[in-house]
Amino acid sequence: MAGFGTNDIKGREKEDEGDKNSNTLESHVVIRTEGEEVGQSSSERDTIHRSGSRPQLDLSKAAIQGNFEERDPAILLPNQSDDLSHLALDIGGSLIKLVYFSRHEGQSIDDKRKKTLKERLGISNGSRRSYPILGGRLHFVKFETNKINECLDFIYSKQLHRGGMDARIWNPDAPTNESSVVKATGGGAYKFADLFKERLGVSLDKEDEMNCLVSGANFLLKAIRHEAFTHMEGQKEFVQIDQNELFPYLLVNIGSGVSIIKVDGDGKFQRVSGTNVGGGTYWGLGKLLTKCKSFDELLELSQRGDNGAIDMLVGDIYGGMDYSKIGLSASTIASSFGKAISENKELEDYSPEDISLSLLRMISYNIGQIAYLNALRFGLKRIYFGGFFIRGHAYTMDTISFAVQFWSNGDAQAMFLRHEGFLGALGAFMSYEKHGLDDLMVHHLVERFPMGAPYTGGKIHGPPLGDLNEKISWMEKFVRKGTEITAPVPMAPPGTTGLGGFEVPSSKGGTLRSDASALNIGVLHLVPTLELFPLLADPKTYEPNTIDLSDHGELEYWFTVLSEHLPDLVDKAVASEGGTDDAKRRGDAFAHAFSAHLARLMEEPAAYGKLGLVNLLELREECLREFQFVDVYRSIKQRENEASLAVLPDLLMELDSMSEEARLLTLIEGVLAANIFDWGSRACMDLYHKGTIIEIYRMSRNKMQRPWRVDDFDVFKERMLGSGDKKPCPHKRALLFVDNSGADVILGMLPLARELLRRGTEVVLVANSLPALNDATATELPEIVAEAAKHCDILRRAAEAGGLLVDAMVSSLDGSNGNSSSVPLMVVENGCGSPCIDLRQVSSELAAAAKEADLVILEGMGRALHTNLNAKFKCDALKLAMVKNQRLAQKLIQGNIYDCVCRYEPVS
Amino acid sequence: MEIGNVGITEVSKPTNSEAQISHLALDIGGSSLIKLVYFSTNSDDSSSSNDSLAASNGDRGRPVLEGKLHFAKFETQKINDCIDFIRSKQLRLTGSEQHGASGSAKCVIKATGGGAFKYADLFKEKLGVSLDKADEMDCLVAGANFLLKAVHPEAFTYMGGQKEFVKIDHDDLYPYLLVNIGSGVSMIKVDGPGKFERVSGTNVGGGTFWGLGKLLTKCKNFDELLELSHRGNNRVIDMLVGDIYGGMDYTKIGLVSTAIASSFGKAISDNKELEDYKPEDISRSLLRMISNNVGQISYLNALRFGLKRIFFAGFFIRGHAYTMDTIAVAVHFWSKGEAKAMFLTHEGFLGALGSFMSYEKHGFEDLKVHQSVQQSPVGASLGGDKSHDPPNGDLNENQSIDCSVYLS
Repeated sequence: MAGFGTNDIKGREKEDEGDKNSNTLESHVVIRTEGEEVGQSSSERDTIHRSGSRPQLDLSKAAIQGNFEERDPAILLPNQSDDLSHLALDIGGSLIKLVYFSRHEGQSIDDKRKKTLKERLGISNGSRRSYPILGGRLHFVKFETNKINECLDFIYSKQLHRGGMDARIWNPDAPTNESSVVKATGGGAYKFADLFKERLGVSLDKEDEMNCLVSGANFLLKAIRHEAFTHMEGQKEFVQIDQNELFPYLLVNIGSGVSIIKVDGDGKFQRVSGTNVGGGTYWGLGKLLTKCKSFDELLELSQRGDNGAIDMLVGDIYGGMDYSKIGLSASTIASSFGKAISENKELEDYSPEDISLSLLRMISYNIGQIAYLNALRFGLKRIYFGGFFIRGHAYTMDTISFAVQFWSNGDAQAMFLRHEGFLGALGAFMSYEKHGLDDLMVHHLVERFPMGAPYTGGKIHGPPLGDLNEKISWMEKFVRKGTEITAPVPMAPPGTTGLGGFEVPSSKGGTLRSDASALNIGVLHLVPTLELFPLLADPKTYEPNTIDLSDHGELEYWFTVLSEHLPDLVDKAVASEGGTDDAKRRGDAFAHAFSAHLARLMEEPAAYGKLGLVNLLELREECLREFQFVDVYRSIKQRENEASLAVLPDLLMELDSMSEEARLLTLIEGVLAANIFDWGSRACMDLYHKGTIIEIYRMSRNKMQRPWRVDDFDVFKERMLGSGDKKPCPHKRALLFVDNSGADVILGMLPLARELLRRGTEVVLVANSLPALNDATATELPEIVAEAAKHCDILRRAAEAGGLLVDAMVSSLDGSNGNSSSVPLMVVENGCGSPCIDLRQVSSELAAAAKEADLVILEGMGRALHTNLNAKFKCDALKLAMVKNQRLAQKLIQGNIYDCVCRYEPVS
Repeated sequence: MEIGNVGITEVSKPTNSEAQISHLALDIGGSSLIKLVYFSTNSDDSSSSNDSLAASNGDRGRPVLEGKLHFAKFETQKINDCIDFIRSKQLRLTGSEQHGASGSAKCVIKATGGGAFKYADLFKEKLGVSLDKADEMDCLVAGANFLLKAVHPEAFTYMGGQKEFVKIDHDDLYPYLLVNIGSGVSMIKVDGPGKFERVSGTNVGGGTFWGLGKLLTKCKNFDELLELSHRGNNRVIDMLVGDIYGGMDYTKIGLVSTAIASSFGKAISDNKELEDYKPEDISRSLLRMISNNVGQISYLNALRFGLKRIFFAGFFIRGHAYTMDTIAVAVHFWSKGEAKAMFLTHEGFLGALGSFMSYEKHGFEDLKVHQSVQQSPVGASLGGDKSHDPPNGDLNENQSIDCSVYLS
């Protein structure tokens, strides 16, 4: 994923101009118009002087530029310097919620090659801003208000109140900023203002609570794809919110009390109602009635309760019968706690479980009813329930949903928010002047679930874990205890906390509380370089996943596949890092972490949002990266690339000897055949022991017998070659989404690219930004192409034209022949690091390259079958894959393993 | 009494009791209270008010039965007391009888409320009467309609400790919202005699107050709990707006610092156990929570149907000043003064009255209440006076209304 350091620009600017204070947009514009490059080598970045006098994230002059249609909707943070954090608080009666931002240290892979590419794609640095973008992460943390000291310790340990610890590390002499201001909302912002001043030396800048709630909710509903969901009878279903129909809606925030707010737009809202019977009532009464020590404990009790023990049901009144005339079933609660009247029992005679459940139902039902009545009053169809009372607690949500459903006769829908408790804190965060997040769009955000401070069963809390080492130790502790690690908790990424100054808050046990909830909140990665793939025919209805993992059988299957594959993956991962003890330790930790994720998801598939195969596979790669396995298949990829490159010249000669028609067929056969080299497929891994690459390739190609299971080749051929005398005009530009390294890309896709180039079509090879399995990455491809170009004029000229061969090493071959009129061959990164691809979030480069493309070729199971098989494009599309999985073959094409798919979908 | 022998097909049998008891109807609440309404003719047989009534009725020449409507209530748990009471007064004897040939015809008593199902067998066994189940909602509405039309003063508002009777314009009575707070709460939109719809309700009602209250305070009965609330201070346990905002109002949204932000919310942060709170304070908080909630949901339903008048009835209220005050304040607050909460003097007897009205052939074509109503026992227990004794849920706290009955 391209990260482009804002700091680079600024640093250079400072050095060049010697003006440390000119951190303004204007000065930045000057730089840009001078055509300065962005993103220098990392070594240069590290040498620049970092200003410690600006500990706060400097968002002045920040703005998101561009819109959906534009190529690079960037958030400009010209004044932002380093890995600064940015903190906002919501201090409620019972819980303190923190949202903080950490700048993400993106890797810079920019170089001259990229510069040429950008020029070619029309991303010129002179006329457009590059990426002085706020890339970073939003973290969500909470504490109990009566343990406010733990919260203060946490903030202090991370130096969040000073805009992150980094400021001090780089400039320890910088005066501690006494006038630091932290945005805060919630009643406690008033109550604890002095405490914050005293302990941290920061002033709390009080933000209006309602404002914060609403702007937090608006942000979430707009920016996060799987934020809102319905919850009926235990079933969670994510709801796609149509941005154009977002408003008006009713927002019900259930904190200690309940606020009911009608939201008409950004900043346009009215508190129309509320009730004093809320979370505080549940907890307060519950505490008195059951002696529970915590809210979560009380909630947990309710799960085992039977409210019929204390509630007077309709059936109790009507002798077990329904009162059908008015639509009341026998199990309807006629009177909460009403049974306690007539029974000769004392408080002690009732089980705390039953009491908790009765209380929960009473309050949830009541809130649902009042909310619905208010929705009705204003003609609102959508009601969002947020606030900490809910906590992802299934029964609470079900009861509220039931109430809304019941009273509205199904007309109104209760929806819930994954970030339910953080509305206020997020809103406070948004209230920083020009935080630059206003116009952030769904495709800019990626949510990750790092295995930060794992907890078991919601009961064991640990301190926030600073670096990887702590994290692994933590996990090992649980492994030793034989306790199953069940879910991750969001935490700071190692990058912002592992820099040395981090201290675990003084021995206070439960600092980073975990959720007892059934929903997890991850860390939000803001990646403003991500864009919607512009060639999608209908982005609104686009669904990347072909297979619905909400089908439990499917999930179970994938769970098994991934679990079985895990030991092998761990072996490879450890080997890729030299097999050291450290690598082994990390490998074990990875295995445990990923197993925990899988177990969590089996139990609660929607725990991390709507679960698709894309997410599941990406989760695995992310998890590997989290334990610093950068590229597990590196050596395997290298070996296969070398072997394949060695036989490429022979293959090209063979192809060149064929007629046009035969060649096209052979090329497509070749792509399908070469797709057998896939380390993601168990079946194929077994094959590898049986022959050399070229043997397998040829064997595989010879087995290609048409018709394939899905065979649109003839239609494709006609488009390419025409029929009779009619010669069709070639495509202008083709995007080739490549899959595996080695034979797959070199013997399959590269020859096809060459054929397209030969026919005058520009070719853009689209590859992963980050490694995933043995998939080729955008950083590896240029070398591969360069190597291949040594033996092929067509490739060489195209690669030169595409700026892939800027290095002198290959220009020696047939030097004078360099014909710049050749159509270019380019390589772009796709913006993701997963074996699948979600075309709603691709790199801006790819989006730019797509603008002039009129042919999309998706290759491989991950990108053409598991995802995007049903995707429709605005241009011609060819989907090629060999199905290396019996189950998938049956399910998708009613075929068998090793069947092939060649689906051609001309633009209509 | 041998009135109305002439010209009526139905024969009222003479009774042996001192009071000339005629009809009896019951409202047997699920597990809280049994309400009785019965009619007795005046023993002095004076027809002094006959003229005026006849005049108003414009229907001379028909036999008129003068008498009293009596109201009584029992705790459902003490249903045997109730049965004894009925037996002692021989109330059942003049229930609607079958015209069957057999002399010991089966007696049928109209009854409503959930208990009419539950205790049917018991009545059969102990008194030999069948309970004829009248629909609960029908009865509530019929009772309310009767009271609002026929009895004055019946409805009143209650604000700031001031009780004020409201004159209901009979032509402008409908539609109105009837909120019956029993164990649970029913909200009924009434459009006319027999025309109504249960539009809403809530499970947080009198049963919740009493049930939770019993668990929290160990009070032995409802009235004791109510009485406790008188002396309580809800600020001890409720989280107020001021508690959250450091004593300040949250003016932007119109919440004063004394507004309850979260009922029982303070219990969260206090390091106290149940025993550390005074039962008085608990009762007060509970009462406010429930009254407020009922008031709010009622108002929202009134708003939904554009109803200006909301009548609150049912045994939860019990003429309890603080309860009425809280409900009234809630309605006033949420409606910004546009809607008014009104209460009924005979709040607890709607169902029983309606049940009484439901005798198809009770021989009473029309029941007319004297313009002057005897308030003697009634007034004492329903007055706004704070120092009065708590209403007594036990026996024989009889109320009565003078009335005349036209026999068909």
